[in-house]
Amino acid sequence: MNTLNQVGHASPRIDAQKRVTGTATYTGDIRLPGMLYARVLRSPHPHARIRSIDLSRAQALPGVKAILTRENCDVVWGSGDTRNKRYLFNNPVRFAGDAVAAVAALDRHIAEEATRLIEVDYETLPFVLDPEEALQPGAVEIQPGGNHSPNNRGERQPEVYRRGNIEEGLRAADQVFEDHYTSAHVNNAQLEPRVAIAQWEGDKLTVYASTQGISNCHTEIARDLNLAPEKVRVICQFMGGGFGNKNQCHDFDLMAALLAKQAGVPVKLEFTRKEDFLSVHGRWPTKQYYKVGVKRDGTLTAIQLRGYSGMGPYRKGSGGIAGIEIYQCPHVERSVTQAYTNIAVSANLRGPDYPQGVFGIESLMDDVAYSLKMDPVDFRLKNMTRKFNDQTPYTSIGLEDCIRRGAEAFEWKKRWHAPGAGSGPVKRGAGMAMGSFFSSMGRSSAVIDLDSRGMYHLHVGVTDIGTAAKTTMALIAAEELGVPLEKIDVIWGDTDRCPYSVGESGSRTTTHTGYAVVEAARDLKRQIAEKGLPQGSQMLTATANTNPAAPTAARYSFVAHFAEVEVDTELGHVKVVKYVAAHDSGRVVNPLTATSQVKGGAIMGIGMALHEELLYDKATGLPLTAGYYGARVMTHLDAPEVEVLWIETEDAYGPFGAKTLGEPTIIPSVAAVANAIYNAIGKRVKDLPITRDKILGVLA
Amino acid sequence: MSRISRRKFVEGTGAGIVATAVPLKGQTARTAPVTPSVPHTTIQVTVNGERRKIEVEDRWTLVEVLRDHLGLTGSKVGCDRGECGACTVLLDGRPVYSCSQLAVWADGRSVETVEGLTQHGQLDALQQAFIQHDGPQCGFCTSGQLMSAKALLNHNPHPTVDEVRHAMTGNICRCSNYNRYVESVMAAAGTLSASARRKA
Repeated sequence: MNTLNQVGHASPRIDAQKRVTGTATYTGDIRLPGMLYARVLRSPHPHARIRSIDLSRAQALPGVKAILTRENCDVVWGSGDTRNKRYLFNNPVRFAGDAVAAVAALDRHIAEEATRLIEVDYETLPFVLDPEEALQPGAVEIQPGGNHSPNNRGERQPEVYRRGNIEEGLRAADQVFEDHYTSAHVNNAQLEPRVAIAQWEGDKLTVYASTQGISNCHTEIARDLNLAPEKVRVICQFMGGGFGNKNQCHDFDLMAALLAKQAGVPVKLEFTRKEDFLSVHGRWPTKQYYKVGVKRDGTLTAIQLRGYSGMGPYRKGSGGIAGIEIYQCPHVERSVTQAYTNIAVSANLRGPDYPQGVFGIESLMDDVAYSLKMDPVDFRLKNMTRKFNDQTPYTSIGLEDCIRRGAEAFEWKKRWHAPGAGSGPVKRGAGMAMGSFFSSMGRSSAVIDLDSRGMYHLHVGVTDIGTAAKTTMALIAAEELGVPLEKIDVIWGDTDRCPYSVGESGSRTTTHTGYAVVEAARDLKRQIAEKGLPQGSQMLTATANTNPAAPTAARYSFVAHFAEVEVDTELGHVKVVKYVAAHDSGRVVNPLTATSQVKGGAIMGIGMALHEELLYDKATGLPLTAGYYGARVMTHLDAPEVEVLWIETEDAYGPFGAKTLGEPTIIPSVAAVANAIYNAIGKRVKDLPITRDKILGVLA
Repeated sequence: MSRISRRKFVEGTGAGIVATAVPLKGQTARTAPVTPSVPHTTIQVTVNGERRKIEVEDRWTLVEVLRDHLGLTGSKVGCDRGECGACTVLLDGRPVYSCSQLAVWADGRSVETVEGLTQHGQLDALQQAFIQHDGPQCGFCTSGQLMSAKALLNHNPHPTVDEVRHAMTGNICRCSNYNRYVESVMAAAGTLSASARRKA
């Protein structure tokens, strides 16, 4: 791979100083003159019909300025549900945390007190928490038409993928393995709680949002409030994480706008941490039933998955279960059913369909390898994908190198052993898993203005959720323009000043918007060649609206993770003691921040493997672990040192050959840890998270 | 050991005040809205070396006063319930969750926030190391991480990696950039000891 001048060199974030001095302005830091504070009242029941709401005591509280309920607000939140009409305030309420009212008052204490003074008369209804139980005849109907959420074609049928003939594949096998796995509802738990500030100036609405995509947020606010697009402005300057649950316009953006309209002054609507855990969304819980057919020599003949995803009561995400596509196999069938349940809503969390699915299939493939007396690394090298779905070549594939070089760096041969070997009570074990993630190409835009002082003003509609997107865009521009990084001034996070960007979801910013930046830079260079450098008050402007055709080949990133754990067989405690992550994301634009992404994604996955779950009380349908302590997200003391290995394949597409990066980082981590635990203790825990009680349970 | 260091630190802060001679503000900070029916108290707090007289509602937390009434928004509210550490500040030199301290409890005491780390336009060694070693991803937990690290280095300038992890484990980073934060603190400690050696 050729060496470039800017791209590929470690570069601190261009906004790092702001982030370490407390001067970066996050949405919640903004205070507008005369601004009110708003709070939301939420259902304490998992499923209930609202008979009546009495606002009289809340309205009488001094300082209360505006209240919204279903009585005076029938606005539909378009991106809150892709199948049904989801209002800002719904009746019946369908999960503990569904919004019932929103109050704006002089300060947050008064708003909070007012929500407590609202009297709601509920008629409680039966509820169902488990996706399979929700699909049983006689289960309470959560949405009109039943709990089987329609697939992409609007049919109440599973999403099905087939190649070959699964029955034939199972018949051709020397041995068929069958097992099932479950994964839990896990919250995104980004540090910045949800907040929106809405301000009306005449008929123009400005929303200071905490969003991963200002363009999407802008379009959706205009649509849901029936405003002309030019009458809406969305600003997000600094953003405290999202991991997929701040992709679209959210109900609180709309509520803030409506409260501000009613009160005639700006309104800041804040969520508490508990609301943030319950009322936005987390990763969908799944149940996965697999059958795998294999020849004696380890060749796969069939993979079958029947899966169920619990979506909560509103359909916000795909509910997919991915992972089996990392294996080559002639006969494959995957059928996944999405069901409505009365738990918190489920949708995107870093690699939405993947880590839970990869946990399932990689746990089973590990068992297959052990059963055939094959080294799990050799088994994967034999059966890993070579073409996408065994049909379409990849634009580039570094998976084999990820596995081989990752295993070397990890010292796999030294650390891996027969399952359960070791005398204990603390046992060590090694595990690995692999994964892939779509590396899309698509629509985005960029504008570069060059002034006579030689500054390049790069306008991109990114918000930088922690991925260093601004720095990445600046590096790409500097590289293509052949100027120092300091000459690039990035303007971001404001729909009145920036062109369309895809939004920071699907790990697409580098590949989509980065590509637009390259094209804008090329256009600018052509203009300079033609017209010369701008003088005095002159300015050159280059614009790129790009939508590159998808390559005929499949474009994917690849990854293999290796973990070593210590399991205390008396206490059930697991500690990850060594970790190697090998990644093929094409060319790495900024190794400093990219490495941070990998370290973070892997550690986040360890938390999903070992701790995190939004637990529900089966008797009451109420959540028990909504918060950082309850969810037991990873802390400094839990986090191992993650060694990162870059397998930089040459890829002909994307900006300088960069592929996706942010989401692949979490994909195989859960399975790698699970497989290491199996290697340590010789028993397999098949339900996430792998908590102490479950480890002691399988050892008993 | 740490008690002595803490006292020294507090004395150091006091000396700073004399040197910069920040006068006590004659006027109480404007803190509207104060709900008349709610008990309120006038407190005196030294914030980043500057003595402030503030009228507060007794129900206000320290972080609310810092952010909403003194404009010091560097300290973040991640959970408002003592779980995440994004609001960590130093109270008389010790790290506390400012969401879990009532403002009235800070009366007569000294508070240091992230805004106080930069002295005369010069970044603290920790801040420089956080930039070079890519400490912040989204950055929302960063101020808290910095203040916990600052408290550690104030009483233990040469920590081991394990001591850093223990001192900062009350600061959650959901981007999970823990490796980078530890690396940054170790680098800052190294820089500090190198400069101390040069002076000696």
